[in-house]
Amino acid sequence: MARRVGICAVAQTTYEPDKWTERFQGMALEVIESIQAQTGVDFSAGRGIGMSINVSDDIFDARTISDNAMTDVLGAHFGCEEKVAQEGIQAIYYGLAAIQSGHVDVVLVVGHCKESQGKSRNRVTHVAFDPFYTRPVGLDFCAAAGLQAQAFMDQSGLTEEQLAAVVVRSRENALKNDRLPAVEPVTVEEVLNSPMLADPIRRLHAYPVSDGAVGMLLVAEERVNEFSDTPVWITGVGNSMDSFFLGDRDLASNDALKQAARRAYRRAGIADPKTAFDVVEVSDLYAYQQPMWLEGLGICDTGKGGLTASTRGHCKPVINPSGGTLAGNPMILGGLVRAAEASLQLMGKANGHQVEKAATALAHGVMGPAGQFHSVVTLARA
Amino acid sequence: MDAKYADSFVVEGKLALPYQYFAGRTGSRFITTIRDKKKIMGLKCDRCGKVFVPPRSTCERCFVDISNNWVDVKNTGTVTGFTVIRYKEPYQPFDPPYIQALILLDGADTPMVHIVKGIPVSQMQMGLRVKAVFAKKTTATIMDIDHFRPDVKDHVKLGYTYEELEIGMTASFSKTITETDVYLFAGISGDFNPMHMNEEFAKKTPFGTRIAHGALPQCLCAPVLGMKLPGLGTVALEITTRFKAPTYFGDTITCTGEIIEKLEDRKWVRMSLTWTNQDDKLVAEGKALVMPPQSS
Repeated sequence: MARRVGICAVAQTTYEPDKWTERFQGMALEVIESIQAQTGVDFSAGRGIGMSINVSDDIFDARTISDNAMTDVLGAHFGCEEKVAQEGIQAIYYGLAAIQSGHVDVVLVVGHCKESQGKSRNRVTHVAFDPFYTRPVGLDFCAAAGLQAQAFMDQSGLTEEQLAAVVVRSRENALKNDRLPAVEPVTVEEVLNSPMLADPIRRLHAYPVSDGAVGMLLVAEERVNEFSDTPVWITGVGNSMDSFFLGDRDLASNDALKQAARRAYRRAGIADPKTAFDVVEVSDLYAYQQPMWLEGLGICDTGKGGLTASTRGHCKPVINPSGGTLAGNPMILGGLVRAAEASLQLMGKANGHQVEKAATALAHGVMGPAGQFHSVVTLARA
Repeated sequence: MDAKYADSFVVEGKLALPYQYFAGRTGSRFITTIRDKKKIMGLKCDRCGKVFVPPRSTCERCFVDISNNWVDVKNTGTVTGFTVIRYKEPYQPFDPPYIQALILLDGADTPMVHIVKGIPVSQMQMGLRVKAVFAKKTTATIMDIDHFRPDVKDHVKLGYTYEELEIGMTASFSKTITETDVYLFAGISGDFNPMHMNEEFAKKTPFGTRIAHGALPQCLCAPVLGMKLPGLGTVALEITTRFKAPTYFGDTITCTGEIIEKLEDRKWVRMSLTWTNQDDKLVAEGKALVMPPQSS
């Protein structure tokens, strides 16, 4: 059996709508220096960081090969430098594979994004579509999410009130999370009266434009103790990519997420996801996604997502104690932040929003229009 | 941080690079057929039977080459999902609010995303039948289908289909035949026979006064067959008439049709026709063979 991989440290900047006084390199440096301070890790050959994985997006950074701007910050000159341009949680999978294969012992993962740099986030996600059939008709991730939200609400019976409750609860949790200083509380009425973006998605159902950086140190089992007293084991990972064209998929089905979850649970030896976790962090870019993804992950039964996400006490794990992506993380980092937050919970280092006695957790990432790609990572306290 | 924007070095940039993307042979044929023939085609997987629109040269499930299995799909379809776009972006094809919909074309298995116009946003619903509106000015893009709009044929209630018709069903139409009708009919038919036009001449005929052309009351079967029974969409194949009594000016003629036979092999029906006047006197009788409308 391949050696285990531990998360020895995580670090995050704050996430804010416009960190205009920061360069993204500066945000990343803050994260790396925090990880170094926590672990004492360095870049010494054979001992220190053997691989640096940068998570960034060319269009959000407005430059191709966006990791080129990060090499010196990552300490990657003449080192093994890699880039993940998809969901940041993929970098964990990548680092895990690099360590389990025996290539390296220590992997640094750092993701950054300044969504505020671009004039419009929709214009970035618009170019994720093909130029032949879907760009000319005006698609972007928000429009695609509108189509999926309508399909899911139609099938699941999810109500406007439940969606509002998801947003209110996300903000309540986020107010206890010191990484989200810009979050303000909202009321159910404010959400219900918020203007429509793409029916049935309202403005307050959508995650805010966000800037920030996140990182973590992944270490091979036998060297974990050099860097941390509170490592978190990666117990399972699973991915699944659905069809590109929206019409080729059943938008309300959760097909890809169910597959990703099954793969992660099989690796982790999890038989019943309902009872397996103390904390679950899902990437909810829009409010409808939290109940939908909870159903797809098997945290609750199909048709119970609305109830589970809107009211406490209908499932075993605590859902998105950090506030979730809905409270404000850059989209491309959503899953990586979820994994960082889940790890903090298991390390007992989630300031202000610590879930008591959290021993197991799940982190979920999503990318592509209307949940095309899903990634699931399961974690356990050492 | 106590930083001032005015004292900061901030570069205004723009990523804008004109591009040409080749859609490939499959995509090119799909688009040029829409452009040149106003026809939408898909590619069918012989193994699983799925028809892909937009076409794909390989079935993503069966991993087989399907690039030569072109099939025609209809310009009509059903809305399987929709959202209303309310925010404005420069790349959008229309000003918001507009309806972005998943449309399953008749004959296709993969809905395509496009725009629906011609229906108020508040009345939009799943299952709406829509029809492609092709662009007046072609651009060789998917926007050669300019948008979809409600298929208005659906709003016209077609008549009874063969299956819906039963022997014994009847319908009628009545009209008073005036001097004006007779003069107009003379103009239409060219039949200016003095027995219809000239009262003094008509006094010498067996009828003693002017009468209407026989074909004039006979025409009253047309609104019965074409608009009532079977109704809109009916094709008349044969009408026979035997005239029994004259129609005088001012008579009110009622034409009544009744289903008397269903011809199963051709899906046609035979009807009896009677024409009576205001005194219930039989003016004419006959039969009609018609082809009822097919279900839409």
